[in-house]
Amino acid sequence: MRRALLAITGLAASTTALVVLKSAPGASQVAQDLPAEAQPAVPGGAAPAGAETSAAPSASAAAPKPSRSAARAPATRPSPTSGARTPSARKTSSKPAQPTTRTVTGPVVENEYGNVQVQITLSGSRIVDAVALELPEDTAQSDQRSRQVDDTYSGTSGLVVELQGADLDTVSGATATSTAYRQSLQAALDRAS
Amino acid sequence: MPPRRGPGGRRLLVALLALGLLASVLPWWLDTPAGSLKTTAATVTAAGRITGLVAGYLLLVQVLMMSRLPVLERWIGGEQLARWHRDVGATLLVAVLAHAALILVGYADLEGNPVLTEAGVLLRDYEDMVSAFAAAGLLVLIGFTSVRAIRRVLPYELWHFLHLASYLALLLGFGHQFSNGAQLFRPGPVRTLWIAMYVLVVAALLWGRVVAPLAFNLRHRLRVADVVAESPDTISIYLTGERLGELDLLGGQFFRWRFLTRGCWWQSHPFSVSAAANDRWLRLTVKVVGAHTRDLRDLDPGTRVWAEGPSGTFTAAHRVRDRALLIAGGSGITPIRAMLEELPPGSALIYRARTPADVLLHRELDWLAQARDVRIWYVIGSRHDPGPREVLSPDGLRRLVPDLAGRDVYLCGPPGLVAQSLAALRRAGVPRRQVHLATFEL
Repeated sequence: MRRALLAITGLAASTTALVVLKSAPGASQVAQDLPAEAQPAVPGGAAPAGAETSAAPSASAAAPKPSRSAARAPATRPSPTSGARTPSARKTSSKPAQPTTRTVTGPVVENEYGNVQVQITLSGSRIVDAVALELPEDTAQSDQRSRQVDDTYSGTSGLVVELQGADLDTVSGATATSTAYRQSLQAALDRAS
Repeated sequence: MPPRRGPGGRRLLVALLALGLLASVLPWWLDTPAGSLKTTAATVTAAGRITGLVAGYLLLVQVLMMSRLPVLERWIGGEQLARWHRDVGATLLVAVLAHAALILVGYADLEGNPVLTEAGVLLRDYEDMVSAFAAAGLLVLIGFTSVRAIRRVLPYELWHFLHLASYLALLLGFGHQFSNGAQLFRPGPVRTLWIAMYVLVVAALLWGRVVAPLAFNLRHRLRVADVVAESPDTISIYLTGERLGELDLLGGQFFRWRFLTRGCWWQSHPFSVSAAANDRWLRLTVKVVGAHTRDLRDLDPGTRVWAEGPSGTFTAAHRVRDRALLIAGGSGITPIRAMLEELPPGSALIYRARTPADVLLHRELDWLAQARDVRIWYVIGSRHDPGPREVLSPDGLRRLVPDLAGRDVYLCGPPGLVAQSLAALRRAGVPRRQVHLATFEL
């Protein structure tokens, strides 16, 4: 019985210790947090033409984990970063009638489940693609909701592209995430115009 | 004399299990960025996840320890495994309760619901949570009915039946870990390894509970040869079978026996073998204390016997010194009698029995005293009588066996005698690792 008491005490102590250790900000984390917080101050400088290049580093800084939507199905959806876009942009720009595509990133919007950040790709003033760089995915439940929001709104054939704006119906059961998505999207649209 | 089996196997297993525990919390550690637990909800949820991972792992350890895997039964022994199972069980109970409570409070805080509403939300909206709550309820029930004070007042069958339901708990708790577990719901190496752990434990269970006993009994085909009265309330059952010379059996080990008669086939009871292995017969010596043991007196020669084992580390092979002192009480002499044939010469035996008629296997013991140079003291009377009390005191033990502290001590007998002897041995300066117990004391 004495051993059982020891084990139970050990369980309580080590769980507390683990949580406390993780609550203390590590040195590397501070460095990661800074650009993410400073990011909303930069967008003015990110002119439409330069947005494409500035979007890449800020996206990786804002999301310490690899973004789910970017990592999940890279083949089915055009990559938000410049790599895959550039050749097609160059090809289309040789045709004078076609406007150039550009990428604009919205700010990180926080809600109680996590952060939401949206990036849109525009061809002239038309939205051709929307990608969620970050969505709440802490619990299986919020991950599931995020996936519903992402599937409904994002993509070349999602609601954003279809309706060409941020005036979207809320995804039922995922109100907070839908709202945050629309806020980030609206800010990106404002930034683009 | 059998070669020694040191504590290496036990230490290896303890180290492996401890490593496994660390490894099961590691996914959480790697998934959680430092400084990310800013809110109370996040902190409480994190603690809930840690306890959940620990509980999931400990449940598997519990089942593994009861899997009757031959290697565990021989390295650790059924008695030791039962003690670990009890201690880990208490920890598991607390971990399960903590996991459920912390996750509930954490999620309620995260989603801004009162705790009771959140319980409803979890049951309704989250996959596999109904079965997870059922599993938790079962585990709590099993845990509480195993608390010593409660278990004593319950019928054995109820306790046993509830314990069998822990397989159901294992099954019911499986789903929610993978549909909702923050570290497990995404496909990846962590999820694969976690499933692999389940597969391993189920394989161990099948091997230890089905395949190994089947192989053993098909190979040896044990049957009752004779039932002999040793004293008014004690019988010896002689068994014969095939290939008994190939049995990997040490004196002091036990089997779980199932006598295949109409009334007895469904119960399995552990009894020590009361003579060292030989190629002609096996013998167990049983004190008649209840309905089952009463039935054993009427066993007919030729009755088939299903045995699982051998199990136990109460053997000459597990000694750490060159000489031994054996202390037996009542029918506790049976494993010691078997072991005496395998211990090095020069052992000492203190055998307490209530009356001279209760001294079992008297002639065999006297023969062993001569053949293997064993000094034997028969102590007659209750352990509260002056004589036995004097013998089982530190001074009394030292007077009989002056080099006591340099010997292995093997103890087998009623709980009172074991407790009294343990206290005396501690005061006489016998290190704990030299003391060997053969009790199923839970």
